[in-house]
Amino acid sequence: MAELKLQHIYKRFGDVTAVGDFNLEVADGEFISFLGPSGCGKTTILRMIAGFEKPTEGIIAIGDEEVSNAGKGYFLAPEKRGIGMVFQSYAVWPHMNVVDNVGYPLKIQNVPKEERHQRVMKMLELVHLEEYGERFPNQLSGGQQQRVALARALVARPSLLLLDEPLSNLDAKLRESMRFEISAIQKELGITVIYVTHDQSEAMTMSDRIVVMSMGKMQQVGRPYDVYTKPVNQMVADFIGLVNFIPATAKGDRVFMQGYEGMSFPNPKRLSGEAVLAVRPENISISKTGGMVEGVMHHRFYMGDSIDCRVKVKEHMIRVIHKGARYDDYHEGDKVYLDFDNVMTFSKNE
Amino acid sequence: MKRSLPRFDSKFIVIAVSVLLLLYFIVLPLLVLIYDSLFINGVFDISNYKDVYGKKVNWQALTNTIQLSLIVMVASVVVTFPLAWLVGRTDLPGKKTFRTILVASYMIPPYVGAIAWVQLLNPSVGYLNDFFKFIFGLSKAPFDIYTMGGLAWVLTLFYSPFAFITISRAMEKMDPTLEEAARISGSSPLKTLWDVTLPLMMPSIVAGGLLVFIAAASCFGIPAIVGMPGNIEVMTTRIVTFLYMGDEKGIRDATALAVSMMVVANGLLMFMSWMLSHKDYTTISGKSTRPNMVELGKWKWPAFLAVSGYAFIAVILPLSSIVVTSFLVSMSKGLALNNFGIDAWIPVITSSQYMESVWRSIGYGIVAACIGTVLALFIAYLSVKTNITGRSIPDLLVVLGGATPSIVIALALIITFSGNYGLNLYSTMWILIVSYLVKYMTMSVRTIAASLSQVHSSLEEAALNSGASWIRTCKDIIMPLIGPSIVAGWFLIFMPSFYELTMSNLLYGADTKSLGVLLYELQTYADTQNASVLSVIILLIVLIGNIILNKVTKGKVSI
Repeated sequence: MAELKLQHIYKRFGDVTAVGDFNLEVADGEFISFLGPSGCGKTTILRMIAGFEKPTEGIIAIGDEEVSNAGKGYFLAPEKRGIGMVFQSYAVWPHMNVVDNVGYPLKIQNVPKEERHQRVMKMLELVHLEEYGERFPNQLSGGQQQRVALARALVARPSLLLLDEPLSNLDAKLRESMRFEISAIQKELGITVIYVTHDQSEAMTMSDRIVVMSMGKMQQVGRPYDVYTKPVNQMVADFIGLVNFIPATAKGDRVFMQGYEGMSFPNPKRLSGEAVLAVRPENISISKTGGMVEGVMHHRFYMGDSIDCRVKVKEHMIRVIHKGARYDDYHEGDKVYLDFDNVMTFSKNE
Repeated sequence: MKRSLPRFDSKFIVIAVSVLLLLYFIVLPLLVLIYDSLFINGVFDISNYKDVYGKKVNWQALTNTIQLSLIVMVASVVVTFPLAWLVGRTDLPGKKTFRTILVASYMIPPYVGAIAWVQLLNPSVGYLNDFFKFIFGLSKAPFDIYTMGGLAWVLTLFYSPFAFITISRAMEKMDPTLEEAARISGSSPLKTLWDVTLPLMMPSIVAGGLLVFIAAASCFGIPAIVGMPGNIEVMTTRIVTFLYMGDEKGIRDATALAVSMMVVANGLLMFMSWMLSHKDYTTISGKSTRPNMVELGKWKWPAFLAVSGYAFIAVILPLSSIVVTSFLVSMSKGLALNNFGIDAWIPVITSSQYMESVWRSIGYGIVAACIGTVLALFIAYLSVKTNITGRSIPDLLVVLGGATPSIVIALALIITFSGNYGLNLYSTMWILIVSYLVKYMTMSVRTIAASLSQVHSSLEEAALNSGASWIRTCKDIIMPLIGPSIVAGWFLIFMPSFYELTMSNLLYGADTKSLGVLLYELQTYADTQNASVLSVIILLIVLIGNIILNKVTKGKVSI
């Protein structure tokens, strides 16, 4: 029922196009993340879905109902959309205690007092705050306020839940545990979730699909695995995970590494002319005896579970994450050989 | 430790000197005032209070004051809250201009407003009364300014900016997602206003209201110009009347009234700061989303008309009245095209007596502002940037001075600095300057302290770490960062000192008559035109000061 459709959405603020031609269909019960650097338009889209911003062009539909149609000048106010939302700042009302905060959406719907209390308590149980009902927000920690906001967003049983960078104000440990809690609650309630974040590990672990955004445009949408292993362009490859870009030249069915013309890789995209090779640091293996390319160990950083190396290959500085090695296996200045695996190719301006 | 030891010493001397100065010029006079009201010839005796409150006229003044201040407080909040909301939170057309106009009325000296409204609504020749008589063919003037209603009207128009500034500031500080959370929970814009915005604003609304109450109760200019002709007495005018008697009995009666005023005013302000500190609704805020503007829809233009109407009545109408009057050739001929000219201006700007007062007031303002800014800088630095025990005492003493009604300060200074306690400043310019400092330094300290607290101590430490001395650090790091707030702090003392009336009126001597006093005298001698010319001069200087201030602080502080 809560499938969400966004068709040809544009949002302009004066001359600035914050969002350009955005299209997306979200299935019922799906967990979708909008991922991108700040200013990429992800929050603007979320606010258009919520009804806090009017799209300049395009249609937004929740289930079978259009909530915004710029062409017809139709726009449904946020309070009539039946959506739950968690804000980055939590937006827990400081003048109401936890029970009143969580119960507010039900109060607006005139749910009788007893039923209201029951449902609020059930929600508080879900977010593990059943002991905190009488507390006021200033007596709660950031993580607890976060849970109150989540309970408030869920109490009216919305079919669509919007989360706007909900974990960005929490410390690292708490962020991780909240991540799994939100996932678990989503599975339990079978609710559709749109989750905005700039943290790729949040997006990767929680989502069914990720929408990668940049400069107001959707760059790629797909399962976390696909987005990571088959990024459509350099921006996506760079934003998700770590990557080395090496200038190259494409000719025929091969792509030749610049400065190391003996080394070439397959050219599945049939590129020609200036190109870029992209390879993730963990897909490079290092050895003393032989490999595709020869280089010099320039610097090593000990990371505990791995060694983060910089290897100079001709004029290129290549980052290699070497797992399972001992720190003393290699030293600065040593001659080393690298093997590249899962090499991606992009045209220069892609 | 080696480095901080000598610094500790110099700071300690600064703190000791400033505390002594403040004790002598703020606390001592107030204590003397209280003592004088309670002791007669060294014997505890409450007969002063018995005498004063035994007279019906004083009781009447007290009830008038309370009644008026309550009306003005409620009216100000009722008018101001919707204005602040419309200007701050909706898509009202021209809201920036409205905000400027509404805040601007704060810088018009209240007595100038009173003069303007007397011109507009006096029953015999008021412009507006004439206008209504003409339009509706009335035989009698429909309004009389010299009534309680007229007094409440003028007080509300000129003190509601206190509430407007307080409320709209809080509204801007409020996290807009708190309202959005209510909307997404299913609440309509109006219900959101009621359930979320209003309760969150309540502390600021109460604070703004109390500020208006205290300001209205302490005001002398407006009741003197609007109330006295209609025989309406309030506390401040009673105190002045007692003082004009000139005898010892008069002064003692005045002290009893003044002490009661002081207790009420300081008590209310203490309650206010207690309340604000205990209802701190500032919450963690995320990225700054542009506050979501409520779309007024079909109410857009009616709201625009209503706000325009208010701005016209509150600011434009009275200012126009003053300016027009100053350019009339003859008052008796009224508003006719051939009756306009600069005839009234010539005698004023060529009169050495008038112009001396103008320059004198500018001079007093400059002296007060310079001394005050230096003191404010030390006091702010001590309270924000050091951790010496007692660092905030000077700040508290300054707040005490600012919170005390002007008339009380003036009276306290008169009885203290007539020679009995070391200094005799009576009738000198210094008693005026001391009074300005006591009353207005607090704003300056607030402004400078606010900007100092934003200069994180690591910035200073980085300079010290780079090898700069403490003095050098002040010059290279601190001063450039807080410079604008120092200029703002200077103007915050200069402007109100320059046009001050209440205290100057009690403290001036034969050679120290200030501009405010001169204007008040002209108005009471019914020389409306000269009063208008001087009012326009005051307004021009205030305007120029504000423009400079705006340029220097890039619009962050204005008066």
